[in-house]
Amino acid sequence: MTEIAMQLTNVRKRIGNKEIIKGLSFTINRGEVFGFIGPNGAGKTTTIRMMVGLMKLTEGDVHILGKSIKTEFKEAIREVGGIVENPELYPFLTGAQNLKQYARMIPGITQERIDETVKLVGLEKVMNEKVGRYSLGMRQRIGIAQALLHKPSVLILDEPTNGLDPAGIREIRQYIRKLATEHNVAVIISSHLLSEIELICDRIGIIKNGELVAIQAVKENTPAGEQQLLQVEMEATPLEKALEVVNRKTPAAQTNGKITFQTEKENIPLLISDLVKENILIYEVQVTKSTLEDKFFDLIGENIID
Amino acid sequence: MTNFLNLIQNEVIKIYRLKSTWAMYVILALIIIGVGLLAKTYGDFMTYEEDTWRETLETENAEYMKDTEEFPDMESFNSTFIEINNYYLEHDIMPESYGAWQFVMENEMLLSLVSLFTIIVAAGILANEFRWGTIKLLLIRPISRTKILISKYSAVLIFSFITFLFVLLFSWIIGGIFIGFDGMNPHIVLEKGDGVEYVPVIGEIITDYGFSLVNLLMMATFAFMISSIFRNSALAIGLAIFLMLAGNQIVFFFIERDWAKYILFANTNLSQYFNGNTPMMEGMTLGFSVTVLVVYYIIFAAITWIFFAKRDVAGH
Ligand SMILES: Nc1ncnc2c1ncn2[C@@H]1O[C@H](COP(=O)(O)OP(=O)(O)O)[C@@H](O)[C@H]1O
Ligand SMILES: [Mg+2]
Repeated sequence: MTEIAMQLTNVRKRIGNKEIIKGLSFTINRGEVFGFIGPNGAGKTTTIRMMVGLMKLTEGDVHILGKSIKTEFKEAIREVGGIVENPELYPFLTGAQNLKQYARMIPGITQERIDETVKLVGLEKVMNEKVGRYSLGMRQRIGIAQALLHKPSVLILDEPTNGLDPAGIREIRQYIRKLATEHNVAVIISSHLLSEIELICDRIGIIKNGELVAIQAVKENTPAGEQQLLQVEMEATPLEKALEVVNRKTPAAQTNGKITFQTEKENIPLLISDLVKENILIYEVQVTKSTLEDKFFDLIGENIID
Repeated sequence: MTNFLNLIQNEVIKIYRLKSTWAMYVILALIIIGVGLLAKTYGDFMTYEEDTWRETLETENAEYMKDTEEFPDMESFNSTFIEINNYYLEHDIMPESYGAWQFVMENEMLLSLVSLFTIIVAAGILANEFRWGTIKLLLIRPISRTKILISKYSAVLIFSFITFLFVLLFSWIIGGIFIGFDGMNPHIVLEKGDGVEYVPVIGEIITDYGFSLVNLLMMATFAFMISSIFRNSALAIGLAIFLMLAGNQIVFFFIERDWAKYILFANTNLSQYFNGNTPMMEGMTLGFSVTVLVVYYIIFAAITWIFFAKRDVAGH
């Protein structure tokens, strides 16, 4: 049974006479990772600021486990942990002292809970160092630890992959997935780069100019018939013969000495085995771009997202 | 309630983990040590003996009179000293030697440094959270903004109080080490509004320091307000220090106007109503000044609250 963790109803924000957020409505379920994608300036951070009560809503409401952020702030925010924009902590305090600050603000957070959270994000070794000396990746992680201390039902991460190297991004993906699956947390994760987060999202909402332009389910649990197509690039010899074999299953093209085609995930091993049977040498198989990304580009209407 | 104490604890920790806070205490300590050394080196303190103090005072008086003959400008200055000495003689009280408590009393000017540091802390405690970006993590807790605000203000007052005690205690220790401890409750003769009086030094310290706390409190609250409005500590520090220094000039500039008595700085010095002093302007009473101060305080607090609790925490 799906349980709604957060619900946005016709959320609007006007600053001066400029409407920045133009009536967003969507829900996020418990145990779900929701990707909030849009180019810079689309309104992701503004929406998140309203979700956590940093900014007032011009219109509409946000409910967290049924509690309104406007009228039941304390009850609603109790269920939320997050990072807004950058993981900014007190640079002159150590990691441990920073977490202690947040632990003191909510009753019932024990030292064991702090240790547990520190272990989850793998920062045990640097807890007694000043946060000012942390790398960006370490700050993202202590930011996440800070957000998880009080076991929130909703975790909001605003561009958590910003400035991280691929290894750091992979690591963050791992525990976000774990939180959603094992702890039934609803995770909202914003990014301007679809490719960085689509792999862990169950659903993606695309925002542009303050409007939600699409909501799209991703991954295996997509209903049959709506199977997601992957863009595959392959280097093989002889090229002509390989092209012919692939073409039996799916239309393929030849670009820059490589074969490119679209297909479902489970077709890839079948294709490879066909090719091998025909004595074709395969040097490289690469899944380059998902069609979701193509769709994203279409919706955003530009190729350069920044 | 424990929750609120936790918030105050958080704020006090943040104040005292900053290096700049420790620099303040180092500065105060160095100044007090410096003044103590100067007093020890250049002060020629009279010591009075049980059986010779009367002669010592007579000799002093003779010297003051000779001095006045040579430098007539010094007349009023010297005559006060003579008057004080005569008081001791007439009442047959042996003057106590200069020591730690009197040193503390004379270090009252250090309180303007305590005011200055309190202003700096009050100006930073809100604005810094915005500068560091930590305000966002602070406000997404199940705690009302009003409570956060009050905890921060309380922490400023705690800082101020600790610093104030530090100046008192450290002055007393340095005075004692360099000059000598002068007993638990020394009395001296001081010039008051009408004539000289025999008073306890500790009482003088409490009233002098106490009166200057009014100004300290008002300026700290003002700096706190400015930092809530503009979210910028430099501006808050600058404005508050400017007003602290220029406050009296502002009053004198407008002293002819009948609304001048409503200016904050015409009312911050409550000692104008005590010790036979005359109030700054006609129609001013202690009750009047206290009312004016309370009204200013409420206005400062209300503006601080409106700007902190009601405004969006938006991007830059
Ligand atoms: N305080 C503000 N005042 C006016 N405009 C703002 C303010 N904050 C953000 N905006 C505008 O709102 C839009 C959305 O910004 P933001 O939510 O930060 O986008 P994102 O996080 O998706 O990059 C931008 O055009 C930005 O210029
Ligand atoms: Mg943003």
